[in-house]
Amino acid sequence: MAIITGKAWVAKTYVMSFDMIIQKFWTSPIDKEENSKWVMAGVAEEFNKENGFKDFGYTFIVAGHNFAGGGKSIEHCVTGLMGAGIKAVFATSFARLQFRNATNYGMPFITSRDMNLDCETGDELEYNIENGEIKNLTNGKVFTSVPVAPFVAEVAAAGGLMNFIRAKIADGSIANLH
Amino acid sequence: MAMTITEKIMAFNSGRDSVVPGQLVWVDVHTVMTMDYLGKQCFKAFESLGSKTLFDKERVICVSDHLVPPPTPEYATMLNEWREIVKSYDIPFFYDLGRQGIAHQIMVEQGHVLPGKISIGTDSHANTYGAVGAVGNAIGVTDAAIAMATGKCWFRVPESVKFHITGTWQPWVMAKDLSLHVMGMMHWNGHLIYKALEYCGPAIDALEIAGRMTLCNMTVDLGAKNGIIAPDAKTEAYLKPVQKGNWEMIASDADAKYDAVYEIDVTNLGPTISRPDKLDDTVPVEKLIGTKFNKAFVGTCTNGRTEDFAIMAKILDGKKVHRDVNMICIPASQDIYLECIQKGYFEILVKAGVAIETPSCGPCAGIHTGVAGDGDIMLSAGNRNMKGRMGSKNAQIYLTSPAVVAASAIKGEITDPRSEKW
Repeated sequence: MAIITGKAWVAKTYVMSFDMIIQKFWTSPIDKEENSKWVMAGVAEEFNKENGFKDFGYTFIVAGHNFAGGGKSIEHCVTGLMGAGIKAVFATSFARLQFRNATNYGMPFITSRDMNLDCETGDELEYNIENGEIKNLTNGKVFTSVPVAPFVAEVAAAGGLMNFIRAKIADGSIANLH
Repeated sequence: MAMTITEKIMAFNSGRDSVVPGQLVWVDVHTVMTMDYLGKQCFKAFESLGSKTLFDKERVICVSDHLVPPPTPEYATMLNEWREIVKSYDIPFFYDLGRQGIAHQIMVEQGHVLPGKISIGTDSHANTYGAVGAVGNAIGVTDAAIAMATGKCWFRVPESVKFHITGTWQPWVMAKDLSLHVMGMMHWNGHLIYKALEYCGPAIDALEIAGRMTLCNMTVDLGAKNGIIAPDAKTEAYLKPVQKGNWEMIASDADAKYDAVYEIDVTNLGPTISRPDKLDDTVPVEKLIGTKFNKAFVGTCTNGRTEDFAIMAKILDGKKVHRDVNMICIPASQDIYLECIQKGYFEILVKAGVAIETPSCGPCAGIHTGVAGDGDIMLSAGNRNMKGRMGSKNAQIYLTSPAVVAASAIKGEITDPRSEKW
């Protein structure tokens, strides 16, 4: 599927990892479905209930600098978004720890500068995975993004880094990782 | 080919002669650190990979720091499960309550991090390891599990940015002030994101390992992939009694390529404060003189070291913390705790009215031991001041150095530590 379309939620301020997953869930098991129920609960009051974010049915998140920043190496931020139906996050920049986690889960965290200034929550977006182009179908604006690196695509195709490594351990090619 | 220290470390630990920024490499990691609240998940994920044995059990370092001593029955139970799993793998380096410290402090002070090598940990401030010339990097459960099984981790080789620091440190000015100054200077303009930040120059040479740890620690909050300071004679002397393994001196080549080079003269640097909610909203202490606060805190992997408490003891000797201020100090490890007792620093602090707590991440992780409540105004020597970071979202956190916290605690309002002869 080279083209994804759907509704976007647009962040107006910094989005912090410890608000995406509030404290009582920091130690929960990693599970896309479970983590999705309370993902983003601390980001906005309207999301602070069970399935509060998920029920809006967003496909994309658009944000400015330092998406998922503020520390916290928890992977629930990424798995929670995946379970809530988010297919890609576009941000001017990402906190590198969650960028890394996203890569490891095959979740596209896509760098696209200042898109948040030209999108509103509820806008319909169309994302072309192959050429990195993003169209805002609501207001007609078009954005470019940094294409996904081959390694990232390879991990995503394997269904995440754990599966990628499992296969390599199983077939004995793990020692060749270089 | 000329390389920066970070590029050399990425090259040599991936069996290459050279690397270039942007290249993806699988490196051999020297040590993997995990701690109480994610550790069990790491071991479970490791088990799910299908490998039965750890790559090297002496190089998987386990620490209890976020949840000790447990504030709730739920956390006590979690800690018990964590202990069970660590024991089942017969991990020799398990720093549990009683031998504990904040993981990043433990990793450096116990010699689990070595110059020229790569260590990873499941906590964002793993950048701290750069203080002794290692590449330290924060990772999640997935990366930790894979490294526990294979001893490997993937990295995209970062571009390097050099901060050349010159001049003479003025009295009562600390590495933390430079950290916050750089934060304010760079803002969140994205320039340092994913980059290797290298501190060097005479004013860095002048810093002890404690100050270097503060600097490298906060590079993660600038968005950098790692912060690093090349090893020198001070590093060698610091590591000699504790190092677990051998290492060699390593430094950037003189003609290595940098994405940018910044020059800062610390002679003109004064105490610096980051205002509530945004780390990069920094101002010189002069601008906030007289600002009242009711909570004071010094500790964390940023500023919970002996040097930090030494400077506070100088200021608080024979003085009292203001009656409207509750002040907590938390040493970053048991070794630091003991040293501060032996040197008399904690006696001075306790007499001044400071509550000393047992080593842990404390309120910095927003979990326990003095978290912020509604309306609290906290003056903290920690590392983050975003809304809700240390507890209530209706609290304000000013970040600064231990010297500013100590001087201000006496008056109950923000005070320039240079204003009096302590």
